[in-house]
Amino acid sequence: MSDFLFELGVEEVPVSEIKSVMEQLKGKFQAKLKEIPVEFKGLETAATNRRFMIYIGSIDEKGSDIEEQVKGPGKTIAFDPEGEPTLALLKFIELHQVKLEDLIEIKTPKGLYVGLARKLEGKKTVDILKAIIPQILKELTFSKTMVWNKSRVPFVRPIKNLLALFDNRVIDFEFAGTKSSNQTRGHALLSENFIKVSSFKEYCELLYRNFVIISEDERKKKIVDEIVEVEEEFSIHIKPDNKILENYIYSNEYPVLFSGEFDSRYLELPAEIISTFMINEKKLLPVFDKDNKLANLFIGISNIPDENKHVVSGNERVIQATFEDARFFWEQDRKDDFFSLRESLKNVVFHEGLGTYYEKTERLVVLVDYLAKETHNQTLADDLMQAALHCKNDLVTRMVREFPSLQGIMGGLYIKETGQAEETWKAVYWHYEPKGVTEVRLEHTGGGLLSLADKIDSIVGFLHRGVQISSSRDPYGIRRDAAGIIKILKDFKLDIDISPLIDLAISQYLASTLHKTDKAREELKDKVGDLFVSRIENIFKESLHFRYDIVNAVLGTTRTLPIYILYLKAFEISRIVKSDSLRHLVALHKRLKNIIKEAPTTEVIPEYFVDKEETILYDIFKQTLLKVEILISDFQYLDACTEILEMKPMIDNFFEKVLVMAEDPKLRENRLALLQSLDRLLLTVADFSLIIE
Amino acid sequence: MSLQNVILKLQEYWADNGCYIASGYDGEVGAGTMTPDTFFRVLGKKSWKVAYWQPSRRPDDGRYAENPNRVQKHNQFQVILKPIPKNGQALYLRSLQYLGVDIRSHDIKFDEDNWASPSLGAWGVGWQVMCDGLEITQFTYFQQAGGIDLEPNSLEITYGVERLAAFLDAKLSIYELEWGGNTSYSDLKTEEEKQFSIYNFEVADVEFLRKIYLMYQEEAKRLAEANLYLPAFDYVLKCSHTFNILDARKAISVAERNLFMANMRNLSGTIARKYVKDVDKQEES
Repeated sequence: MSDFLFELGVEEVPVSEIKSVMEQLKGKFQAKLKEIPVEFKGLETAATNRRFMIYIGSIDEKGSDIEEQVKGPGKTIAFDPEGEPTLALLKFIELHQVKLEDLIEIKTPKGLYVGLARKLEGKKTVDILKAIIPQILKELTFSKTMVWNKSRVPFVRPIKNLLALFDNRVIDFEFAGTKSSNQTRGHALLSENFIKVSSFKEYCELLYRNFVIISEDERKKKIVDEIVEVEEEFSIHIKPDNKILENYIYSNEYPVLFSGEFDSRYLELPAEIISTFMINEKKLLPVFDKDNKLANLFIGISNIPDENKHVVSGNERVIQATFEDARFFWEQDRKDDFFSLRESLKNVVFHEGLGTYYEKTERLVVLVDYLAKETHNQTLADDLMQAALHCKNDLVTRMVREFPSLQGIMGGLYIKETGQAEETWKAVYWHYEPKGVTEVRLEHTGGGLLSLADKIDSIVGFLHRGVQISSSRDPYGIRRDAAGIIKILKDFKLDIDISPLIDLAISQYLASTLHKTDKAREELKDKVGDLFVSRIENIFKESLHFRYDIVNAVLGTTRTLPIYILYLKAFEISRIVKSDSLRHLVALHKRLKNIIKEAPTTEVIPEYFVDKEETILYDIFKQTLLKVEILISDFQYLDACTEILEMKPMIDNFFEKVLVMAEDPKLRENRLALLQSLDRLLLTVADFSLIIE
Repeated sequence: MSLQNVILKLQEYWADNGCYIASGYDGEVGAGTMTPDTFFRVLGKKSWKVAYWQPSRRPDDGRYAENPNRVQKHNQFQVILKPIPKNGQALYLRSLQYLGVDIRSHDIKFDEDNWASPSLGAWGVGWQVMCDGLEITQFTYFQQAGGIDLEPNSLEITYGVERLAAFLDAKLSIYELEWGGNTSYSDLKTEEEKQFSIYNFEVADVEFLRKIYLMYQEEAKRLAEANLYLPAFDYVLKCSHTFNILDARKAISVAERNLFMANMRNLSGTIARKYVKDVDKQEES
């Protein structure tokens, strides 16, 4: 067994690209080696913003031998009627330098052929790697590329070294003007020049000695441990999100925590501004005291040990200047009357063909008015409409132009400064949340409703413009917005059907355009509906972890979208998985479906009953129907199921004694009608026939 | 270290590394990138190594002399290396060492920052160089200028002189810096920053500026058509600066902004193509 070490050394790659590049490299190496094939075990990877490493500890010295069949002439052509080889076959024999007796018969769908079997010996792995590494590098894709030398090869950043060792010898190749070698580089600042390595062991040791911690996990652990250490030492809290942690892990080959402080007078600025400026501008983390209040402290991760405290004092100076900038924006923006900024939205395009943000806010007013009523929040209506009118004003403030991530938040804070009702500013503050289904829960109802309105308006607008989306392409965040809506409905327990909301949103766009035919409206409605159904399916299965058949059962064939109710049903049914009652419900529903099949829907006519079993069943059905309706309006789905199962003995009796498929069509239709009623009753909860027990 | 020493040292260092030390451009520009010594010379095949100190105007960055490191007129030190050297990052780090920075005790990071100048049809890929959290340099591999793909590509290193000096001197504010010869930055700049901030944000005459913008634009077009691409480019730069004041004055709507940008981009594209045609001809003969 041999081993293989590869390192692609680059100038600093953007952190956002690193995972994708590493995954591509890993996937391509695995796929190509399997394809050839070369046997190998264990493939390790590691990455920083300056290097991507692949190590295979155990790989065959040679590619596997392959058995190959070579097809010659068809059997009828190869031999004449006497069974003697024809000229065609003799030529084949000559071409391949074989004997007649070595030939075999090859069966194909087109008939029998004469041919030969031969063994292809695997090539040396080192030669295979020599060929595939440049191919793999060439196939890598990046979100943005550059060229830098005569090779004109587009790549993410200039390549510095291509370390490639097979059993400690260099694999010889060239890519983008760089020759492979046995060289790597140490830390960008703490190590000079190239380092020669002759084995994986030496590679790891020399990197470590040259201040490169190659393992992501080790770097992460060092960072997290050091954070916990300062938290304990100073009784403070630090809340790194994954994005900034990832930045720390990949942009520092030798991460070291540092902490500093700033003048407490800057704490007069809103905490949101302080945090945003620290994190987005300076990649520093805010620190909270034991009462969870922002402290005049910060931490950051440096790429070197800060023995002389240069890094801390530098960052302390910088953060002060940054806060001065923040204060400048905050003060300048408040010189304008925030509400009159709405006029300037007439110059801000929401999206090409979808008008300005001014027009968007006009639509939002209508949508929140509707939503406030539908969700029994009439008392909020006035404040919410005010919020809807002004929720986009902050797009023209200096602060948001400089920091788009503060949109909404700044609008809320500026409105708060004017002394408006709490409901109004909070709704604006929160109306971009949640940004996906896994986000933290939004607490403010007004914010939820305004967010719902804003998101449905965007979704309808973009789909109206014919924007195409797929799992890999969603430039305007349509899928994320739909996920946000599902989350809002679920978190706030809003038992509304969003179909009429979609209608309302559509009519606001179509009323203002020339294409307002019913056909266009129906098509758009279908598109939006399909989007939600697929999002519900996906989120229920992937994020909420409901069983796929339960999701199918609650979705059934419904064209209305009472999302919160669908969620409740899936949740309740998931609770009785593997119980007798679910088994009975499934069996019953399947049996009903089997008999009803495609029979036309008819109504029960009690006078047509002849057997007592059908009368008994019908009577109890009528009582059950009433009870179930009440329970369902009270979201008591499991109790409704129990009620339905109370009829089980009567249903069993019915099936035992009554012949549904009677000769007399009048009797038959009436019995089918009774079973159809039972089917409809079950469907008010779910289509249990879709559940796989 | 005084500000003038930073400039002198950088001139020395880059002269030693084979650069021609140019004078800065003699009109208002937003950045060293916009001057003819960069804009034209990165085009075409000919090698080019230049370094110069360039005062740069960013009307929108004015802070009435109240922000410790943001000003409407700052000083850049611009380096262009064409073709791109193999050891660009190392050359740059050595220039910091030449200025006396101990690179082993400062957190120097190359943070993704892809530079683009839409009005010049120019863009590149690279980083902002952060030193203990302070952005001191823009480091860019040029890919396009005037809408033309560059071959060979150039490396552009742009130092922010004030920030670099403040970092070297561990000063909280650039106004605490010495320029040199017993003259302080504050003495030289405080009044200038105040007056220009008032001008840029509050009193610049919008109608007047719109008028001269159009006149500059017309002149640039006329000169470009007459194949006088060098003076034509002067007028594009005047357009650009006028636009920047209008923008700081919040006199330009989003839709209008795109129009202005497109006009300047088209003009600089035309000028760039004329230049390339001309130098190609020269190289042939």
